[in-house]
Amino acid sequence: MIQTIAFYLFAALVVASGTLTILARNPVHSVLWLILAFFNAAGLMILVGAEFIAMLLVIVYVGAVAVLFLFVVMMLDIDFAELRAGFAQYLPFGILLVLVLAAEMIFAIGAWKAGGIDMGSRIAPTPSEVPNIEAIGTLIYTRYLYIFEGAGLILLVALVGAIVLTHRTRGGVKAQNVTAQNMRRPEDAIRNVKPAVGQGVEL
Amino acid sequence: MASVAAGYLPILLFLGVALVLSSAFVFLPMLVGRLTGTHQPNPEKLAEYECGFPAFEDSRAQFDVRFYLIAILFIIFDLEAAFLYPWAVSLGGIGFVGWLSMMIFLVELAVGFIYAWKKGALEWE
Repeated sequence: MIQTIAFYLFAALVVASGTLTILARNPVHSVLWLILAFFNAAGLMILVGAEFIAMLLVIVYVGAVAVLFLFVVMMLDIDFAELRAGFAQYLPFGILLVLVLAAEMIFAIGAWKAGGIDMGSRIAPTPSEVPNIEAIGTLIYTRYLYIFEGAGLILLVALVGAIVLTHRTRGGVKAQNVTAQNMRRPEDAIRNVKPAVGQGVEL
Repeated sequence: MASVAAGYLPILLFLGVALVLSSAFVFLPMLVGRLTGTHQPNPEKLAEYECGFPAFEDSRAQFDVRFYLIAILFIIFDLEAAFLYPWAVSLGGIGFVGWLSMMIFLVELAVGFIYAWKKGALEWE
């Protein structure tokens, strides 16, 4: 019973915060609503038993992706009143997209109910005796090894691409040079002088 | 299914208690203010106030693009760490191939890390 209550709570909050994400006037508020939607989606994932996905949602999506979205929103210099102006103009196209998505969902649910889609359990049936995270681990690093390494390569490309696109060396930066510091000997840095009485030190 | 979710029941209860307490702290003062007759807003009271001056400018300032670079580096190494969890749990069953696949993955990202370091992307003047 408590699972049903929790499901309806999380599902209602996901739908509500998703709606507010697209309706919020301030884009920063949109990102905050999106974070709430991520948290509630994590709750839904725990309810269906996918603990690892729930943890990924919190660690990666809330912890990293939402922060990236916030930075992107803060970086853009957009007149948001102007951006919202074309609402009526884009409305027919938006409604068309919504209809297409709704039709796809109805077809998918119909096919799933008819029993036509059971690919996951045909290729790799969910083992009931080991935890979810261990079941993922036994598949991802052996059977789906190439996809896993491909994901690593995509991450590498993203890293290099972000550096190439946004990084530029700045002039006038006094960076620390550890090697030069360690190579410096007392003889280079210290000079013993013995000035006569009444005379100063030549620097 | 029920066993996994049942383990999180204490967290759900804790969430409920936190929700009730935090909304009590927010709404109880408002309710008390209205009931005792101290809720008398006027335009001067509701005006924005910043050290005795009206606000000079929008609080939204444009960020430097370097924050984006830091955020995307964080995402990438966050994902790397996230992939380590199922690997560590299932290491007993996946054998040498599984171990090697993670080592190759780590080397791929280590190459990226060295590149970022050498390019000075981690430096912040």
